[in-house]
Amino acid sequence: MNAEPNLPIPISYTAGSYFIFSIDAVTYLRREHHICGVLSGTLPQIPQQNVFLGLPLELMAEEARLLVEKGVACIVDEVNVQTDGMKALMEADRQRYLQELQAQGTQVMQMQASRKEQQREEALKKIEEKKAAQAAKKKASQPPPPPETPATDSTTKDDEAVVGLFAGDRKQQQQQGPDQSSSRRPSTAIASHAMGITPATSHSLLPLEPSAQHKLPLPAVPSSYPLFAHLHSEGYFLSPGLRFGCQYLAYPGDPLRFHSHFLVVSTGWHEELDLMEIIAGGRLGTGVKKGFLIGGADETTSDLESREADDVRTFSIEWAGM
Amino acid sequence: MTTKTPTKPPQPSALTNLIAASPSTSAPSDPLAASTLQILHNLQHQHLWTSLQTHEIELPVPKKDTPSSSASPPASSPATTTTTTTTTTTQYLISGIPPHHVYIHPDEQLYMLQRGLRETDIELERLFVLPAVQGQSWSLARLAAVFDSLPGGEGRPAASAAAGTDIEGSEGDKAAKLAEYYEYREKASLTKEWGGKRILLAMVDRMMGGDGTVVYYIVQEGAVKPRQN
Repeated sequence: MNAEPNLPIPISYTAGSYFIFSIDAVTYLRREHHICGVLSGTLPQIPQQNVFLGLPLELMAEEARLLVEKGVACIVDEVNVQTDGMKALMEADRQRYLQELQAQGTQVMQMQASRKEQQREEALKKIEEKKAAQAAKKKASQPPPPPETPATDSTTKDDEAVVGLFAGDRKQQQQQGPDQSSSRRPSTAIASHAMGITPATSHSLLPLEPSAQHKLPLPAVPSSYPLFAHLHSEGYFLSPGLRFGCQYLAYPGDPLRFHSHFLVVSTGWHEELDLMEIIAGGRLGTGVKKGFLIGGADETTSDLESREADDVRTFSIEWAGM
Repeated sequence: MTTKTPTKPPQPSALTNLIAASPSTSAPSDPLAASTLQILHNLQHQHLWTSLQTHEIELPVPKKDTPSSSASPPASSPATTTTTTTTTTTQYLISGIPPHHVYIHPDEQLYMLQRGLRETDIELERLFVLPAVQGQSWSLARLAAVFDSLPGGEGRPAASAAAGTDIEGSEGDKAAKLAEYYEYREKASLTKEWGGKRILLAMVDRMMGGDGTVVYYIVQEGAVKPRQN
């Protein structure tokens, strides 16, 4: 998993969200840049399952902005990339792509056919072995002949049925069903049908490097961005704070290894601060063994030019226990 | 029992007497001064703090463009932030010595544990308390100004000097360890390894009846890891 992706990593901007579709990029960003994001991909057929999510990785706007500012990533207008990419596709390319798909389908079919053949041979061998063993037994003790091994027969049939289901070729299977013991012809006929392949990605169709015209400017970020960038620069891993009713959760290391240290809430420099919020945050933070961290960009130097990027004041609040 | 004579009003509470009699506050009618005294009273008699003092600090107040904007938009444009800080308000601070350590940084605790030092071995320090009232207008700028007005070292070098003379006689080993601790603590206060400046935020509620409860929260500058995690 040490594959380093090509920089800058394209971040797909779709419907107001930022996504990363490459697992190499995801692991690289987590390892090198402390950006975890949130896995958001589920199975198309089971969208309710939301426990084990996979690619794509969804990034907060702050995370996307930070990566772009670091020069690690760039924002790509995914919709335009897809539509323009498809339009720009040459007819010859299209044909080649379709042929490739068909070739893949045929290959899969052949693999399945050969596996089926192998399974059948194994099953037959088993039956013959059993027969031989029974014959030997008969010779030895002469017991009443048992029924003709229905169990093994049915299992082989079941196996075949499963394979047949995947092959989508029930007729062939039914045909083979009764005469499986007699005819052992290799099923070359099946291989002639190519399986339909639905490609999961559009990688080979679209250019890997997004062209300049599809790149978007810096993502718009909420006013809490200075605090986000400040904490990130101090080595904290930040994740959305919905679970604890705050803006961010700050982890001192990878969230898989550490509990979070802070519930982070950003506030404007002159924004009115309700003391009740401090108490509530401090109480909740202490209740879940975390600190409550409040902070924001220092705006005492009103000159935007002279202001340092990292001019952020933070305060951590804990219940005093008295 | 029926009242024959008009009953006398009940005796004013000790706290009311204290507030009424306080000569220290410049304007006795100042509600903030009164709640400061209330918190001081609470510290003195409920939490048994000693050598309590009140301090007055002047905080710059930015001109408010939008009055009472509790739900002001978070995106503060540069135009509103260039407020001229001409006026100041008085903010009170209380300082005192608690009967035991109110806060010990987790790393500091580990350091002490490794050297077999107990909490009671360490000299108590003067801690600043920021009195606040529910409903009072606070902002990050104001909180930062309070922290900026605090003395830097919090009198730590003095503590180390006192420790050197104090415990010399009892056990040489422990004294050496304590000296080592104080020395390291001075270093840690520079690197902010054991947290930066800290203050105790005390808040009273005067709106919901004001039952006399004072809540205390430790506020520290910077990201200081929580004590239990």
